[in-house]
Amino acid sequence: MSSTGPQRYAIRVRGHLASRWASRFDGMALVPQDDGSTVIDGPVADQSALHGLLRTISDLGLPLVSVTPSDGPAHLSRRTP
Amino acid sequence: MAPPLLQSKYRVPGHRPGTVTRPRLVEALAAALRTAVTVVSAPAGFGKSTLLAEWLADLPADTATVGWVSLDKRDDDPARFWGYVLAAFRAATGVGDDALGLLASSPSSPETALVALLNDIGRMPRDLVLVLDDLHLVTSPAVHDGIAFLLEHRVDQLHLVLATRADPPLPLARWRARGELLEIRAADLRFTEQESAAYLNGPMGLSLSKHDVATLDGRAEGWIAALQLAALSMRGREDVGTFIAGFAGDDRHVVDYLAEEVLARQPEEVRGFLLETSILERLTGPLCDAVTGREGGRARLVDLERANLFLVPLDDRRQWYRYHHLFAEVLRTHLVDERADTVPELHRRACVWFTERGDTAAAVEHALAGGHVDRAADLMERAMPAMQRERREAELGRWVRSLPDEIVRVRPVLGMAFVGALAQTSEFDTLEQRLAEVERAVRPDGGAWPARVPPGLVVVDEDGYRSVPAGLEVYRAALALRRGDLDAAAAHAREGLALTPASDDLTRAAAGALGGLASWSRGDLVGAEAAYVESVAGLHRARFVADVLGCCIALGDIRRTLGRLGDAERLYRWALGLSDPAAPLRGAADMHVALAGALIERDELTAAAEHLDTARRLGAHRGLPQNPYRSRVAQARLLGIRGDLDGALALLEEAERVHDGDYSPEVAPVPAVRARLRVRRGELPQAEAWARERGLSPGDEPTYLREYEHITLARLLLARRDDTAPALLARLLAAAEDGARAGSVLEILVLQALAAQARGDVPSALEALRRAVALAEAEGVVRVVADEGPPIAALLRTLPKHDPAHAYGRRLLAACAGVTPGPALVDPLSDRELDVLRLLGSDLDGPDIARELSVSLNTMRTHTKSIYAKLGVTSRRAAVRRAHDLGVLPRRR
Repeated sequence: MSSTGPQRYAIRVRGHLASRWASRFDGMALVPQDDGSTVIDGPVADQSALHGLLRTISDLGLPLVSVTPSDGPAHLSRRTP
Repeated sequence: MAPPLLQSKYRVPGHRPGTVTRPRLVEALAAALRTAVTVVSAPAGFGKSTLLAEWLADLPADTATVGWVSLDKRDDDPARFWGYVLAAFRAATGVGDDALGLLASSPSSPETALVALLNDIGRMPRDLVLVLDDLHLVTSPAVHDGIAFLLEHRVDQLHLVLATRADPPLPLARWRARGELLEIRAADLRFTEQESAAYLNGPMGLSLSKHDVATLDGRAEGWIAALQLAALSMRGREDVGTFIAGFAGDDRHVVDYLAEEVLARQPEEVRGFLLETSILERLTGPLCDAVTGREGGRARLVDLERANLFLVPLDDRRQWYRYHHLFAEVLRTHLVDERADTVPELHRRACVWFTERGDTAAAVEHALAGGHVDRAADLMERAMPAMQRERREAELGRWVRSLPDEIVRVRPVLGMAFVGALAQTSEFDTLEQRLAEVERAVRPDGGAWPARVPPGLVVVDEDGYRSVPAGLEVYRAALALRRGDLDAAAAHAREGLALTPASDDLTRAAAGALGGLASWSRGDLVGAEAAYVESVAGLHRARFVADVLGCCIALGDIRRTLGRLGDAERLYRWALGLSDPAAPLRGAADMHVALAGALIERDELTAAAEHLDTARRLGAHRGLPQNPYRSRVAQARLLGIRGDLDGALALLEEAERVHDGDYSPEVAPVPAVRARLRVRRGELPQAEAWARERGLSPGDEPTYLREYEHITLARLLLARRDDTAPALLARLLAAAEDGARAGSVLEILVLQALAAQARGDVPSALEALRRAVALAEAEGVVRVVADEGPPIAALLRTLPKHDPAHAYGRRLLAACAGVTPGPALVDPLSDRELDVLRLLGSDLDGPDIARELSVSLNTMRTHTKSIYAKLGVTSRRAAVRRAHDLGVLPRRR
């Protein structure tokens, strides 16, 4: 169990999401990717918060691709408009 | 709670119009009737419920009975969950009152109700299909344990069908390996191209080309909810081809894209209605009117259902609906995105509507969701008494935990509910802190409890406020008991009883039970008796009948130890009268066993055996935790009296294996009961081993908790003719008399009589016997005396006719084990004759006997002749044998 405060996570789902969905993910960034997926990126308070996020993803029927600890949004390739 | 809403929870959904039939999956589901468990597992919008509804609608009525439970997130609590399952079962079959009664009486341990349910299913002529829909909403391990329990003890008729978005934490792999699991998963549920074509060009009334169908199906990946949204977007559209191309060429999440399309095509008032009512988990016309502030909600819902806008009817009368989960998510997201500032007000309106309807649970949820925490706190506080009465403390605890701490801290009544929640999760350190905080808030200076609510604190339930001081003492008693500080526990409980308002039955019951337990463990049986009486009265008035039965086990034990067998027996009969014989409560078996124990003591052995049989017939699930061992100990006692010592020993060994003291002090430990039987069988080495193991010695200071063991030790010492027995018995007697334990006094006196008799001190033996007989007669006790058999019979026979103990002594004599009650000696032997007779049984010759008794040989001969005459014999050997047969002399070992 970690005691070092919130950890950042990057959760990748298939499909792009309109930015309005950010409110459903507690202010995390929704970063559309060129491969048609979206990375939901941001700090997650603890394990139960992470499971809560995964549950929201399941509620929305979003196909889950991966969940990884993240260093921050910088390395994510943002799709150019 | 509104009845239609309740019934909608276990309504079997009909076949939905506008859906396509799926013969391949219905055929696959036929195997569900041959397997224990069917899991239909796939994400939202894959048509799980629709498929099950289609399958069940086509199932011939004589194949199986169907029970269905539509779960929601509030069902994540064993009592509520199983309440709905049992209600669904009863709705489907017309039976199940028994199980529902058991669940209502002990909601925290549903296993007993599940056993009753399994028994009911086992008696059904047909199979039962039990569907648990949306099982993913239930995450509580306690509920999953219950489902696993149901399947571990499954009867052949039961087929469980679990529809869920996520595989439940159940041993699926094990069932799969045993071939007892049927799985229908997302890959099976996806529409094939053919099904997509049938759906889009059938019920949805489109006429799409094969190519268009393939494009849509490929983009939606057979996801039914997506295809449904796509169809809605295309209906009435001229440019279907453009739409399909646009959809296929977009990377957006299909539901996000399509729902936006569908929403954009609705007239503004429909769109507004959809968004505003999306905060509701369930919809009905008047509720929608209240939330939107406009009329016509009912007509609007009917229109939406007709337009296939993801509205699922929850009852046959079209009163309650819900949005399809996936669509509801989209609607809520749009609502928050476009009109975030209106959301709190929408929840407030829903909260008011549910409050007026008396559905506090829904009202609380809307108050919390809308951020109206004070309103939520008010609602909780008002709902507390009813929830405690209905055993919904777990739910109450979850509510209070969802409130911000600063709200709870200024509300002492809710603070106590929070303390209750902490007790349930065993967070005792925090609990102690919160108790101190509640006390400091109400009386900062530690003075008298203020009758009026101090400024700064919020109280809406005045009665609840008056119960706070007593509640604090009750929790302090529980904490002290947990620490093992019995004196403090008893003191807090007493204070709690003194502070409890007259109308607060539950606090009275809790204080009484805790005080009773603490006093009992301290050996203060008089105090314990009084406390348990309060507890039983409180529980009875609060209609917690199963708990009354549990408390009566303890109260009966205490009364018997106090020598009040009659009061104990009346208590058991009263308690049994509370349980309906047609649907006996859990604990009824315990009362029958307890009653059997009392009847054995009275030597009413046939009636006792009948009660033990009744207890057995009621089944293990009608027994409280102590019943398995207690029923065996009682049965062993009965066998022992009837002379089957081997059978008794075997039962006691079993009793030891199944022993569960259920937090009661262990005042008659099974190993000690067993040691007594060893003594009776003459197996002294085994009994000695027990005494060594228990660290018992004749010089021990008597304490109540070890009294039973010490009396057992005294029995062992007597059998060994150990001369430390009398001193031990004298100290035990003094302690028992000191504690007013007349039941123990009686037993000790019997042993003292035997000890005195063994050392030839007949006057002392008779004095102890007279006292014992008087005590026994007062309560109609027989066995504790009669079990001693020939030795005690010999003493009883010496009671002269004019003795006050003579009449009851004859009754006891008749019950003595191994003694033929009649024809007793017409003319009893005198004390002197008994002395002579005892020596006639030895190896001494005539002159030696005379010397031993300091009489002349002639006097000795006169006694001998008189003995022969009274016994009707002519030789010394025959006299001794006859004396043994009559129990006048103890048998030689």
